[in-house]
Amino acid sequence: MLRFANLTKSYLTGTTEVQALKGVSAHIEQGSTVALCGPSGSGKSTLLNICGLLDPDYQGELYLGGELVPANAQALTSIRREKIGFIFQRYNLIPVMSAFENIEYPLLMLGISKAERYERVARMIDAVGLGKFAKQRPDRLSGGQQQRVAIARALVKEPRLVIADEPTANLDTPTAHLVIDLMRDLGREVGSTFIIATHDHRMTDRCDRVIELSDGHLTEQTKPALQLAWG
Amino acid sequence: MRWVHFAFLNVLRNGRRSFFTILVTAIAMTAILVSSGFALFTYHSLAEKAARDEGNLTITHPRFFTDEEDVPMQYGLSNFEHIRDELLVDDEVKAVLPRINLSGLVSNGEKTAIFLGLGVEASEFQVKGPFLNMLAGSPLSGVTSDDAVPEVVLAQGLAQSMKAKVGDNITLMATTTDGALNAFDFVVKGIYTTGVPDLDKRQLYIDLASAKSLINTEKVSSVAVYLFDLDKTTEKLASVAALDNTVAVTPWWQRAFYFQSVQALYNRIFGLLGVMMVLLVFFSISNTMSMTVTERTREIGTIAAMGCYRGEIIRNFLMEAGIIGIAGAIAGVVIAGIVTWALLVLGLEMPPPPGSSQGYPLTIEFSWPLALITSAILTLVCVLAALKATWQGCNKTITDALSYV
Repeated sequence: MLRFANLTKSYLTGTTEVQALKGVSAHIEQGSTVALCGPSGSGKSTLLNICGLLDPDYQGELYLGGELVPANAQALTSIRREKIGFIFQRYNLIPVMSAFENIEYPLLMLGISKAERYERVARMIDAVGLGKFAKQRPDRLSGGQQQRVAIARALVKEPRLVIADEPTANLDTPTAHLVIDLMRDLGREVGSTFIIATHDHRMTDRCDRVIELSDGHLTEQTKPALQLAWG
Repeated sequence: MRWVHFAFLNVLRNGRRSFFTILVTAIAMTAILVSSGFALFTYHSLAEKAARDEGNLTITHPRFFTDEEDVPMQYGLSNFEHIRDELLVDDEVKAVLPRINLSGLVSNGEKTAIFLGLGVEASEFQVKGPFLNMLAGSPLSGVTSDDAVPEVVLAQGLAQSMKAKVGDNITLMATTTDGALNAFDFVVKGIYTTGVPDLDKRQLYIDLASAKSLINTEKVSSVAVYLFDLDKTTEKLASVAALDNTVAVTPWWQRAFYFQSVQALYNRIFGLLGVMMVLLVFFSISNTMSMTVTERTREIGTIAAMGCYRGEIIRNFLMEAGIIGIAGAIAGVVIAGIVTWALLVLGLEMPPPPGSSQGYPLTIEFSWPLALITSAILTLVCVLAALKATWQGCNKTITDALSYV
């Protein structure tokens, strides 16, 4: 589904050039949930940004759905709009919009008809268990509820790829488990591939695969212990 | 409509800031409408006064306004009756009034002064309405007979100079068309003021027949054509000129020098005020939108990550600025309407303009076309100001915008 080869990325910090990624390659299967782990500065945010087509400034090759990702900014925006969903650590909901409107936003950008929009948003908001909170603005929701809205927003357009950046970092354990299970279940239902940058073992334990980054190198690709135990 | 709804929500997001920006726009709108409304009222008043004083159209000898006469009535009109007859059958023509301009000396037997006289038909006072502010007596009656003493109406300054009261006799002396000196006795019928002290010192009215006798002529200086509708002047100009190609036809505005100078002055003053108001709105909106864009940098990054094109993001901000502009314009129209009404009710007066001794009512002419044009301009200015601010604010990369704190 997603394949990258020899990804290299460097940037300047003052006058010093820092190599964030040093020739990273991997292949991620359609429908899998992949955790991207590593210490701070290991390059996981950089890799996540490149995989999410947020950062077009890199060397190497990136394939999405078997096609080489273009360099053109307009084309990248179009791909993100149609094929990629995002879940952020701090939820990044639009504060003036209700939960319903936040989830509706990506469908509005796709020009989907009102009737279909409303039907899909209603289905998705029920799926994340927030039907009662549809008219509430984000500031009236708890952190877990906000992240569930963010998950619904990312998945409502049924994207092929979901990029999640530390989605459970600000949540307590029961809420984190709820959010992780929700992401997995809805992701499977929709058929989306998840790439999740995380330090959270509660998250990595529930992923199909863990990719470890260290100092710009991809060091380990493992199946988590819990997955192995489930066999 | 959904995008407009979201833009509206964003305008309400920082209600206090939006309120003050709308208030600035409303104040600018009010200032423009009130000042322009005052200018419009002044223009219309002066236009009506000019057309009432001189006539909508003035028919003269072609050289009457351009050349100096060697002898009185050298460039006068004779045989104008056919023009008058043709004009009087036109439904749009209110009156056709011949006039004689003359000058000479006025004497009370003890003292002599220069006068500038107008020989008019008595009907001029009915046609023009209350154009003279009569201080005593009445306008010319139009009653003429061989044994009756002709009437004169004196301006206030001249009456004071002659120590003349209504009913007193004075003598007017003028040079005739053949160069002789002629003198007639007149009885003072009324005393008026024009509101212009310099004119009040010299001006008087006598009836046309007496003027003709005084300067010994059958000609008239000019023929004033009065229309029922001021706005028809341009249309009528060509048709009157076509009646006789040996005469010149001059519309009122070519002779309304005071109107022209006031209009030029007000256009400059209120034009500058308008530009300042527009700049005020521009910088106010620009500042507001800059703050808004900066505060929402992370949000911009989020929706850009979700696949919103830069143009769409800018469009959303422009909609917000447009809403602020429209709200400010509507509020400004309402405030200007209230000010217009309040001034009508209060009946405030402006001080006398330079060269005049009379004030005039402080009235605003509320113009819907002007309100619509100004609203459109101010809304456009709001959108342009927002475009500048948003364009600069949306320059960050998505990753920078998402990590903005």
